[in-house]
Amino acid sequence: MTIANLNIAWLLPEILILTMACVILVIDAYLPKQLRNLTYHLTQGTLLGAALLIIAANPMQPILAMNDMVIIDAMSVVLKLFIVLIVFFTFIYSREYLQDRKIFKGEYFVLGLFATLGMLIMVSAHNLLMVFLGLELLSLSLYAMIAMNRDSKVATEAAMKYFVLGALASGMLLYGMSMLYGITATLDLTKLSQSVSEISNDRIVISSVNQLISETEEVELAIKNVEKHVTTITNSPIATKIAEIIEANIETDAMVIIKPMLASSSQNYTILVFGLVFIVIGVAFKLGAVPFHSWIPDVYHGSPTSMTLFVASAPKIAAFAMVIRMLVDGMQTLHTDWQGMLILLSILSIIVGNIIAIAQQNIKRMLAYSTIAHVGYLLLGIIAANADGYAASMFYVVVYTIMTLGAFGMIILLSRTGFEADKIEDFKGLNERNPWYAMIMLIIMLSMAGVPPMVGFWAKWAVLAQVINAGFVWLAVLAVLFAVIGAFYYLRIVKLMYFDKPTSLVPIEAGVDMRFALSANALIVLLLGLMPNTLMAICLGAWGISV
Amino acid sequence: MIKFTFYLFSLILIFASVRVVTVKNPVHAALFLVLAFFSSAAIWLLLQAEFLAIALVLVYVGAVMVLFLFVVMMLEINFSQLREGFVRNLPVAGLVGALILLEMVFVVGAWQNVPPPVATEIPNIVALGQVLYTDYFYPFEIAAALLLVAMIAAIALTMRPHNRAKYQKPDQQVSVNREDYVRIVNIPSEAKD
Amino acid sequence: MQDTLLTIVLAPLIGAIIAGLLPVSRRIAHSVTIGAVGLAFFLSAYVFYQIIFAGHAIYNETLYTWLVAGNVRLEVGFMIDSLTAVMMLVVTFVSWMVHIYTIGYMHDDPGYNRFFSYISLFTFSMLMLVMSNNFVQLFFGWEAVGLVSYLLIGFWYTRDTAIYANLKAFLVNRVGDFGFALGIAAVLMAFNSLNYGEVFGLAQAGEYKQTISIFAGHEWSMITVMCILLFVGAMGKSAQFPLHVWLPDSMEGPTPISALIHAATMVTAGIFMVARMSPLFELSTTALSFVMVVGAITAFFMGLLGLVQHDIKRVVAYSTLSQLGYMTVALGASAYTAGIFHLMTHAFFKALLFLGAGSVIIAMHHEQDMRKMGGLKKYMPITYWTMLIGSLALIGVPGMSGFFSKDAIIEAVHHAYDADRAGAWFAYYSVLFGVFITALYTFRMFFLTFHGKERMDEHTKEHLHETPWVVTGPLIALAIPSIFIGMFTIGPMLFGGYFSDSIFVAAAHNPFDPEHYHGFISFMLHGLIQPPVWLAAAGVGVAYFLYMKRPELPEIIAKRSGIVYKILVEKYYFDRFNDWFFAGGTRKVGTFMWQFGDVRFIDGFINGMADLIDWFAGVFRKVQTGFLYHYAFAMLIGLAVMLGAFVY
Repeated sequence: MTIANLNIAWLLPEILILTMACVILVIDAYLPKQLRNLTYHLTQGTLLGAALLIIAANPMQPILAMNDMVIIDAMSVVLKLFIVLIVFFTFIYSREYLQDRKIFKGEYFVLGLFATLGMLIMVSAHNLLMVFLGLELLSLSLYAMIAMNRDSKVATEAAMKYFVLGALASGMLLYGMSMLYGITATLDLTKLSQSVSEISNDRIVISSVNQLISETEEVELAIKNVEKHVTTITNSPIATKIAEIIEANIETDAMVIIKPMLASSSQNYTILVFGLVFIVIGVAFKLGAVPFHSWIPDVYHGSPTSMTLFVASAPKIAAFAMVIRMLVDGMQTLHTDWQGMLILLSILSIIVGNIIAIAQQNIKRMLAYSTIAHVGYLLLGIIAANADGYAASMFYVVVYTIMTLGAFGMIILLSRTGFEADKIEDFKGLNERNPWYAMIMLIIMLSMAGVPPMVGFWAKWAVLAQVINAGFVWLAVLAVLFAVIGAFYYLRIVKLMYFDKPTSLVPIEAGVDMRFALSANALIVLLLGLMPNTLMAICLGAWGISV
Repeated sequence: MIKFTFYLFSLILIFASVRVVTVKNPVHAALFLVLAFFSSAAIWLLLQAEFLAIALVLVYVGAVMVLFLFVVMMLEINFSQLREGFVRNLPVAGLVGALILLEMVFVVGAWQNVPPPVATEIPNIVALGQVLYTDYFYPFEIAAALLLVAMIAAIALTMRPHNRAKYQKPDQQVSVNREDYVRIVNIPSEAKD
Repeated sequence: MQDTLLTIVLAPLIGAIIAGLLPVSRRIAHSVTIGAVGLAFFLSAYVFYQIIFAGHAIYNETLYTWLVAGNVRLEVGFMIDSLTAVMMLVVTFVSWMVHIYTIGYMHDDPGYNRFFSYISLFTFSMLMLVMSNNFVQLFFGWEAVGLVSYLLIGFWYTRDTAIYANLKAFLVNRVGDFGFALGIAAVLMAFNSLNYGEVFGLAQAGEYKQTISIFAGHEWSMITVMCILLFVGAMGKSAQFPLHVWLPDSMEGPTPISALIHAATMVTAGIFMVARMSPLFELSTTALSFVMVVGAITAFFMGLLGLVQHDIKRVVAYSTLSQLGYMTVALGASAYTAGIFHLMTHAFFKALLFLGAGSVIIAMHHEQDMRKMGGLKKYMPITYWTMLIGSLALIGVPGMSGFFSKDAIIEAVHHAYDADRAGAWFAYYSVLFGVFITALYTFRMFFLTFHGKERMDEHTKEHLHETPWVVTGPLIALAIPSIFIGMFTIGPMLFGGYFSDSIFVAAAHNPFDPEHYHGFISFMLHGLIQPPVWLAAAGVGVAYFLYMKRPELPEIIAKRSGIVYKILVEKYYFDRFNDWFFAGGTRKVGTFMWQFGDVRFIDGFINGMADLIDWFAGVFRKVQTGFLYHYAFAMLIGLAVMLGAFVY
């Protein structure tokens, strides 16, 4: 391999972030306390620079870089861009919050940059190992960021839970990857996909050959039938092998060799699915699908709100990318298998998320459960197992992230030094205190509930349309039913804001940048809702579907 | 011969793992874990993965388990309180564990055409070295970043910049000046005459 | 022609809008509406002249297609032929008179503008109805007049009795309208079109769906079913038995509307409709017999009720019911022309009687009980003489307009009797004896009000005087046609083929042979030797005897007749039955649906669902225990389940 082969130029965004993260780390170590804002500004600058580089590095064809470890395609560009921008907004919202609580440390931003790096790696991964590494980089940074408010017991507990459960999930993911490697002898996603489809084909061949053999007692007739059959099949190694064996041997010998080979080869598929289960579990954990969702309520609730904001928003995009890379790029042929698993996860998430959120009094916890429900909807699009479905899911995850950004941003806005605005009552009478913010929250809540003309409606519509097209009408009905049930807790917030008296009339203070960013956030939700076509076209384009 | 060695070490491994979970004394548990790691290393040697076996011992036993033992011995954790629910939860946990074990045995156990290890002349470590900085260059860099993150996390979470320890700074002590510390003031006396 | 017609229709509508929706003064309100309706009248006269005398061709044009759905076309169009022209003239003239009369009658009423708006709106609706060239517009006009009559009957909406009356009118009409709508649907089903021209053409040619099976297996004649259903609509609108119950109560409304709507126009919509549909009715003798019998029942039995009423307006109301019965009988006897003829003459003298009664009521300071009147002749001469003319016309004194139309009807029924039309014998005897009854109640009313002992109290007597000219003027204006219109129009209308372009009568059914008509004088003389005139004279005589000579007798007779009297007073117990069964029953069903269906079932279900989900939420949230090992355990269980489900 040569340097040119590495295609380093396509990796400039990641290189920038890594370099700047190290630079900022060093600079921050020598900065006096008053100048800490410099760290913040440098970080934001890095993110914007990375965004520009991502846009610049937009290839016509998918490009493989770093010895096939990295793939730059349309989907990666779109998702990477959104990740970087979301993190940018997250930092804007977090700054004052952190300053008020005296955890405005340089390490926060450095770790944030590393987390972003991890996410970018996950999105562009073309090798199972890269997926894992990106995941670990992201997770480790998140664990540390959550625990940063080390004097808070709740935060430490949240970090611990996330860490332990995350380690368990990573372990399972790795176990699944090793199973896959064991069968296919490759970690590269393209080769994996190839191998997997071969094994799938093998499975079909094996069952048909078994059928043919069992149809007749006569060995010679059986061998003749089998030969006729296998010579017509392509892309199945075992078919080729059987053909060779039959050619090289006389009938009875051939039969003696073929039979055990069939028996042992049929195992391959089972092991494949076995490994797939573990991989799906690993992915489900990161996304937050039931029953691997247990960390989400406690982590969202316990972490300081700015960390919750970080955890809730951009990593979901990265998790989605992980799903696509592994299940679609890697194992599309197995879709009948992972479809079933995802259906189970999706149904449980939708039901559990929507129902438990109703009983919550803490808004961060409520949003945690609503996240679980949203993940359920997200998975619906992937269940459709075709490009339109994936595009719909991508649309959903991007939209969801923007909405979450706004929701948690509002909570941060209402919090002050020593006061966390995380109870639902804290939103009472917001309209009287400040109608503009109440309207922002209204837009976000309605969007999350899926009320037109906010963009949340279009997202739900897109995934539901795809899942119906794929034939799972009952699933769509269930999803809609629970969406209706779930609309309650969003509307409860709206009701509290507009129809109840405020519990405290303290004026809401926030920096200019935060107010501006939050308003822009809400307006984007509204605008996208009125004109969803641009974003939808981008998502469809990422899958090669032109509108 | 190989078979005998394999079964021997496997039994030790299984025994050690079970004891890690069941033994009362935490230090004993850590030591049993060390035993388990050693047995795993031995099995890997049987698989001709000598680098991994050595790495396992060096990293896990040498670093991780030492750390565990330090923590276990330094912190006075009331393990008896932590182990309270053990017997209560045992049946259900045992059941689920057995179930997963069974499923895995069914799947993995029937796996017959395991590809045999590739026989080569290059030792493991040479083979690893050949690809680590070439084909796997990128993952290597990222793994390095991962380690950096771990360090940053450790420092960010634990370092308290204001050292409570009081110590002397001799250079400052020596460079003290009379002029900086003493001032003569003329105060008229309060005599009553 | 099109613009003229549009003006005729739209002028009253615009007047109604201005008077009703804009905050104008009383003067402007009544000037605009009277002007508009007057304009409509003159233009109608012009159209009448054009069609009848200037030989203008029948105007049948569709002006606007509103909606096309398959073979259903909803259009706005006009068909002006001889029948329509007559109706237009009658409607606009009577309406105009009533508008002028209202200035005086509603002088002190706070809802002055509203009233003018309503009666103009009514005029518009009625014109749309009669000028229509398709069933849909007919239905529109039909419903619209129903609506406006509801508004007008309940004009004094603060009165409970008025509300009761207008609801009753609307609901009973609705029953009729239901049948009517079904009839229109049957038309569509049979002919695939709703346009008069097309439908009648197909009917004549016999090209239509012949039978219809309503209940499985049984085939009914399409035309019979259709005609009966259409007639049900007429029964509601024209207050035929048993849908007659609303008319007497409708007297709750101000007297001008009794005159306009319940004497002259709306109630005649049914008669008009059957006449208009003559090409269809002629094809089914069953339907015609049905019509005739219903009309006969109404004519006779309603007349009987007029004998026991004490309210002057009620007497006139029952008289209207009875006369409507006569018109219906005429229609049933295939004497459509006679029916329309009677409609026209009746419009004039009944409007006159109502307005006259109104004049009496104004003078008596809104006292309507005849037992408190008497001897008003000397106080209100104009009213007296015009009422006399109206009464004479009503009972059919030879020479008056009522005589010609009534006798024509009786002749027609006799002809049907001879022709063995089913039920004709019953109809003949009903209408014959009805003449006696009519004369009896009419002159009962007349003698009680204007002659005899003065039974009003002192205070009222002091203020008794003739009503202003805005009241008496229309009375005089209506008295003139009440006398003369009959003799001059009978010839052309009945025997001269006046309606030949609009009404179709099968040759075998036609009761009026032009051969037998020798001019109105000979008709009069011929009538003098026929039973009706004698019966009428007998009726006047008995009335004179009972109410002038021996005024104490009526009470004794009432007491002696016991149960018969009671039945009559209770109006054959129809109202009681309707109140108890239909109104009461519906309320009970509604209450049940509310209490059980809505509150317990639906609300309980919905709220129960919400509570259930809330309960689930409360239970499920406990799964999140907070213990890390529980979480890890959950993940492992998930693993076990997924392995089990998907690997095997």
